[in-house]
Amino acid sequence: MYQVHKRGVVEYEAHCSRVLRMLRYPRYIYTTKALYGDTGELIIEELLLNGKMTMSAVVKKVADRLTETVEDGKTMDYAEVSNTFMQLADTRFVQRCPMVHTPENSDTGPPPPAPNLVINEKDMYLVPKLSLIGKGKRRRSSDEDAAGEPKAKRPKHPTDNKEPIPDDGIYWQANLDRFHQHFRDQAIVSAVANRMDQTSSEIVRAMLRMSEVTTSSDAPFTQPLSSNEIFRSLPVGYNISKQVLDQYLTLLADDPLEFVGKSGDSGGGMYVINFCKALASLATATLESVIQERFGSRCARIFRLVLQKKHLEQKQVEDFAMIPAKEAKDMLYKMLSENFISLQEIPKTPDHAPSRTFYLYTVNILSAARMLLHRCYKSVTNLIERRQFETKENKRLLEKSQRVEAIIASVQATGAEEAQLQEIEEMITAPERQQLETLKRNVNKLDASEIQVDETIFLLESYIESTMKRQ
Amino acid sequence: MAGNKGRGRASYTFNIEAVGFGRGEKLPDVVVKPPPLFPDTDYKPVPLKTGESEDYMLALKQELRGTMKRKPYFIEKPEEKPDIERYSKKYMQTYKEEWIPDWRRLPREMMPRKKCRKDLKSKNAQGTDKVSSLINAADVLKKIEELEKKGDGEKSDEENEEKEGSKEKSKDGEDEDNEDAEQEDDDEEELEEENDYVNSYFEDGDDFGVDSDDNMDEATY
Repeated sequence: MYQVHKRGVVEYEAHCSRVLRMLRYPRYIYTTKALYGDTGELIIEELLLNGKMTMSAVVKKVADRLTETVEDGKTMDYAEVSNTFMQLADTRFVQRCPMVHTPENSDTGPPPPAPNLVINEKDMYLVPKLSLIGKGKRRRSSDEDAAGEPKAKRPKHPTDNKEPIPDDGIYWQANLDRFHQHFRDQAIVSAVANRMDQTSSEIVRAMLRMSEVTTSSDAPFTQPLSSNEIFRSLPVGYNISKQVLDQYLTLLADDPLEFVGKSGDSGGGMYVINFCKALASLATATLESVIQERFGSRCARIFRLVLQKKHLEQKQVEDFAMIPAKEAKDMLYKMLSENFISLQEIPKTPDHAPSRTFYLYTVNILSAARMLLHRCYKSVTNLIERRQFETKENKRLLEKSQRVEAIIASVQATGAEEAQLQEIEEMITAPERQQLETLKRNVNKLDASEIQVDETIFLLESYIESTMKRQ
Repeated sequence: MAGNKGRGRASYTFNIEAVGFGRGEKLPDVVVKPPPLFPDTDYKPVPLKTGESEDYMLALKQELRGTMKRKPYFIEKPEEKPDIERYSKKYMQTYKEEWIPDWRRLPREMMPRKKCRKDLKSKNAQGTDKVSSLINAADVLKKIEELEKKGDGEKSDEENEEKEGSKEKSKDGEDEDNEDAEQEDDDEEELEEENDYVNSYFEDGDDFGVDSDDNMDEATY
C-alpha cells in the first residue's frame, strides 16, 4: 500500500490488520465452499493467495485445478466457472480493485512517481462482458509435485498465450467485509437459536437475508422490515401461520437481549435487527464464558451480578451473590488484577481520604473487550511460536520422513513387491515413528487452536469496531 | 485527635474493614520473587472443537501454508551460508512460479534495474506467511537507497529533473526498461560517489588469504 507524499517521495505502509486477516483465510474459503461449492471455493482461494487477479486469469486457473480433480476424460468448462464468479460478484463476495486513474491532461508534466488508484462506487461489482470459451487443461501427471520431491526441470506453463487479455487492467479481489458480514449474521442466528428455538432463529435468518444488500456492513441496524414482508420471505416449506410469526416477532422484540427491535406498527409491525446491541451481547457472553472457564462459576456469577447492577460495593457483592465474604473478596481481587473488573472511586470528602471514600466495583465492557482482544493476539503469537519451535526441533526427522515417502512413491510407480516396500518403510524406526506421530498431533492441535482463537478475535473486533463507528 | 491515636502503633490511612481484612487478621505473605512462568491453573481449558468443518479448515490451513511458500510473492529470508554446502540442499529447493507484476499499478521506483534479480515483490500486504512484510534483504536495500536519496534534499529534486530531462530526450523508440536502466545507472554512479568508504582503501588484514590454504602446517609469524 503506497501513497505519494507531497515532496514527491513514495511512502509505503504495512497494513497490520490486513496481515492478521490471514489467520482467517481457511474460514473464508470454507464458507465459500458451503455456499457456492467447490468452484466458488477455488475462486476465493486463488484470489486470496494472489491478492488480485483478472477475471480471465482466475477462470483459467480454477478450471485447470478442477479438471485435475475430476475423473479422466472430463474437463471443466470455463462457462461454469464464469457463472460462479458472476454469482460471487452479484452477492458482493468479490469486488473490483481500484483502477489506475489517468487524468486527461497527462501530457503536461511528468507522470507521477506512483499511480493514483481510484474506484467508482457503482463500478465495484460490475462484471466485464467477457466471452470466455474454453475448457480446463489437465496437467501431465509427471508434473504433479509431491512434497519435497526433486524436480528435474520447471513445470511447463500450459500455453502461455501472448495474445492480449480482453479484460486487461480490471482486477478483482475478495471482499473481506462481506465475509465478515456473513460471519456476523451467522453468529447472531446461532445465538438466537441457542437462546430461544429453531423457529425464531429461522425468522431472524430470513430477516438478515432480506437486508443483506440493502444495509451497509457497518450500519447500526437493518432497514425496518414489515411483518408481511418477513412472512413472504420465509423459506418455502416452513409453514407457520401469520399469527404465530407475529407472536414470535413480539417475543423476540421483548427479549432483554434486544437483538430485534420494533420500530413501528405499519405493515403489521416493523422490525429491525439491532446490530450494535447484538454484538455487545455476544462480546459480553464471550467475557462471561472466559471468566467462567478461568476462575469458576462462582466468579462468573459475581461478574454477571456486577454487570447487571452496574456499580456495587464490596459488602453488597457478598450479600447479593450469597457467597462468603472471604471467597467473594478473593475472587473480586483476582478479577481486578486481570482487569476484567475495575474500581470506581466516589469520594465523600474533597480530600479523597481513603477511609472516607466509596469504592465501587464496576464492569466496563468495552475496555474489558479490548483487554481480552489483546490477550487473544498474544495467545495466537504464542501458538504460532510454539508451532514453529516444534517444527524446527524435528526438522531432521521431518525431512527424513519426506524422503522416505518420496522413495516409496517412486518405487511403487515402477511396480514393486511387498518386501521391498516393507524394507523401505523400516528406514524409519519405531521410536522415530512415534515421535512423528506426537509431533503431528501437537502441530495439529496448535493449528486448530489458532483457528478457534481467531473466531473469538473476530467477535471482539466486530464489537469494538461497531462501538467506534457510532457517529 | 484521630491522628494521635496511631502514634507508635501500626495503622492504615483507609478503613481496613472496607477492603475486607478484619482487624488484627493475618495479612497475606509478601511476595519476594516473580510469579512462576507457567502457574498451575485451577481450571483446565475446555477441549477444542472437533467436527467435520474444523478438520477441513485444519487441512486447508496446512495446505495453504505450503502453497504460499511456493508463491512468487513469498520472499524468504536469505539464510546465512552454512559451513558446508550440503548436497541435499540442491534437491530441496522449492521452485517458485514465474510472475511479472502489472507495472502500471506500482510506483515507478520499484522497477528492477537491468542487472539485478527479477521477481521483486509488489504490494506489501500479500503473500507473506507471517508478519514480516517489510523485513527482507531486497526491501532493506531499497530503503537504504531511498534514505540516501532523501537525505540529499536538493539532490533528489535534481534527480527528478534529470529523469524528466532524459525522458524527453529519449522518448522516441526507446524501451522503457532501457530508460529506467539509464536513469538507474546515473543514480548508481551518484550513489557510489557519495559513499563514505572508498573501495581502494580496503586493507587486507593479516588473516586474509590464510584461511584459503588448508594445508598450512607452518605457524604464522
